[in-house]
Amino acid sequence: MIAILLVSFLICLAIGLPIALVMGVSSIATLLLAGGQILPGVDPLMIVPRRMFSGIDSFPLMAVPFFILAADLMTAGRITAALLNFSNTLVGHIRGGLGQVNVLVSMFFAGISGSALADAAGPGAIAMRMMRRGGYPAEYAAALSAATATIGPIIPPSIIMVIYAISDDSVTVAGLFLAGVVPGILLGLALGVANYILATRRRMGDKIPRHSWRERAVSFWKALPAIMMPVIILGGILSGFFTPTEAAAVSVVYALLVGLFVTRTLTLASLPGIFVRSGITTAAVLLIVATASIFAWLLTVGQVPQTFAALISDLDLPQGVILLLMALLILVCGLFIDTLPAVIILVPVLAPVAAQFGVDPLHFAIMLVLNLTIGMATPPVGPVLFVMSTVGRIRLEVLSRAVVPLLLAELVVLVLVIYVPSLSLTVPNLFGYTR
Amino acid sequence: MSTSRSAIESFGNAFVWANRFLIGLFMVVMAGLVFTNVVLRYAFGFSIGWAEEVSRYLMISVAFLGAGLALRQGSLIAVDLLQDALPAKAARALRMVIVAIAFAFLMVVIYYGFAYALQFWNNRTPVLRISQGIPYLAVPIGGIFMAVHLLLGLREFMQRDWLAVEQLDEDDAEEFLSEELRDHPEPADGAESRDLRP
Repeated sequence: MIAILLVSFLICLAIGLPIALVMGVSSIATLLLAGGQILPGVDPLMIVPRRMFSGIDSFPLMAVPFFILAADLMTAGRITAALLNFSNTLVGHIRGGLGQVNVLVSMFFAGISGSALADAAGPGAIAMRMMRRGGYPAEYAAALSAATATIGPIIPPSIIMVIYAISDDSVTVAGLFLAGVVPGILLGLALGVANYILATRRRMGDKIPRHSWRERAVSFWKALPAIMMPVIILGGILSGFFTPTEAAAVSVVYALLVGLFVTRTLTLASLPGIFVRSGITTAAVLLIVATASIFAWLLTVGQVPQTFAALISDLDLPQGVILLLMALLILVCGLFIDTLPAVIILVPVLAPVAAQFGVDPLHFAIMLVLNLTIGMATPPVGPVLFVMSTVGRIRLEVLSRAVVPLLLAELVVLVLVIYVPSLSLTVPNLFGYTR
Repeated sequence: MSTSRSAIESFGNAFVWANRFLIGLFMVVMAGLVFTNVVLRYAFGFSIGWAEEVSRYLMISVAFLGAGLALRQGSLIAVDLLQDALPAKAARALRMVIVAIAFAFLMVVIYYGFAYALQFWNNRTPVLRISQGIPYLAVPIGGIFMAVHLLLGLREFMQRDWLAVEQLDEDDAEEFLSEELRDHPEPADGAESRDLRP
């Protein structure tokens, strides 16, 4: 039965069926061919609407549409420019200046948006054009924007973490958000260092003068409305004022008020379009969650997690090696499958195994999310690369080659996160979010 | 012939408009309900009991009713490597196979979606006490919406020519960049067009 599921999944994926349908179609094929043995006496296909509905029937999941909407409201207009200017006054004078600005602005933007794609298409694209005009090679500018976009889902808020928390009961959205803070900052630092080294060796770059603290203060003030957003979200959740979903709804209203009355970048006429746009993005995300939950249900019914756990236990390896093996497995999956379906498929299978070997669930979660997110910027299936390749009009092969040294920097962070649990666990421990 | 074509076209436009209207409206009401509840809880110490249930069902409706629009915009990510590698004729045939599979999938979702909603029609939802079948209808109706969008945009879907997505005013952002970020000269166009995608 599992063989049918996996084979039909791979075929549908390879021929280019949208991934949201791939999971549904392979599940239906399995139910048709082997449904009798899973659910004797009933029509096995009745499980399809049932899982599709219950898979997204969740209040915590509602944080997803709200974070999408808040980021769309916030990005429309000058906020991106304000963040770029502020980043420039802070790090523009460092070697590889515009590249450093690109990295830092992605970190700020990660606090507004929970999605790497939104980062790539928004500030990523603008930073890329800026770097090109500053004399950086086109493919390097695009590659850096693709790499920095992966910071988006690691620094809170994060759509993928909301969905992770639904797939694994032993972690909470708040715990995951906190656990992502340090690894997210590390990712930014690693890319900054990589950019510094590359700019030096390839003699790329620009001469931007160091800015005075006065200039920094002025540009900080202009960027403040955007920087306040993660403060409100995290502060609200940590102080116990809101649940993550409520915090997301509050951030929608905050973004709306800021856009209408403070930065004045939103007009009443522009609002319906933004609501519709966010709604359609939401649908694209949640449809995957819905069909993937039929798929995940079949994996559970097929006892895949148990079989896999037994298999790993039989190997009798130390924890460190098992983590490495799992990381490689996740990395390979991340090369071919998009982050979201990969989380829904892999978490129920791998998380129990990790827990069995004494890995803290939050630590494992961050390792998995970071691993899959890096996969967004790797060929052959790298959504962030696709975006930058389209926006920057650069061939995918050229871009894929240019992104390699930056991916190496990200892999260093991944190894650190795997083998130094305190990187993920210290912040959530401080706030009492670990067991 | 031409009248029937323009009739289909105007139906298509009206359908897209109505679909977009629903999605936008549901998003607003959803966010409004959850936010209002937070405010009410802190300011007045009570909350609307049905807000959670209603907003949840609205989100589910956005997901299924919006999926068709996502399909039309090309927002449903797919792995295009094989199609790109194939010669044009074979790629076209493959594209037809994809359409056929998608339709078969939607037929299952629609048929069983209605069957499932009917099965639970006499159950009540926990808070609102409406028929449980009503929220369940989002699945088959969403399936119908997707099928209609697939039919209306069949030619575009075959050619992967997607409906335009509204742009946020990000190009405007460049206007507000500080002088030193903005004032670099544009690189020569030749350098860029060399790298154009095939």
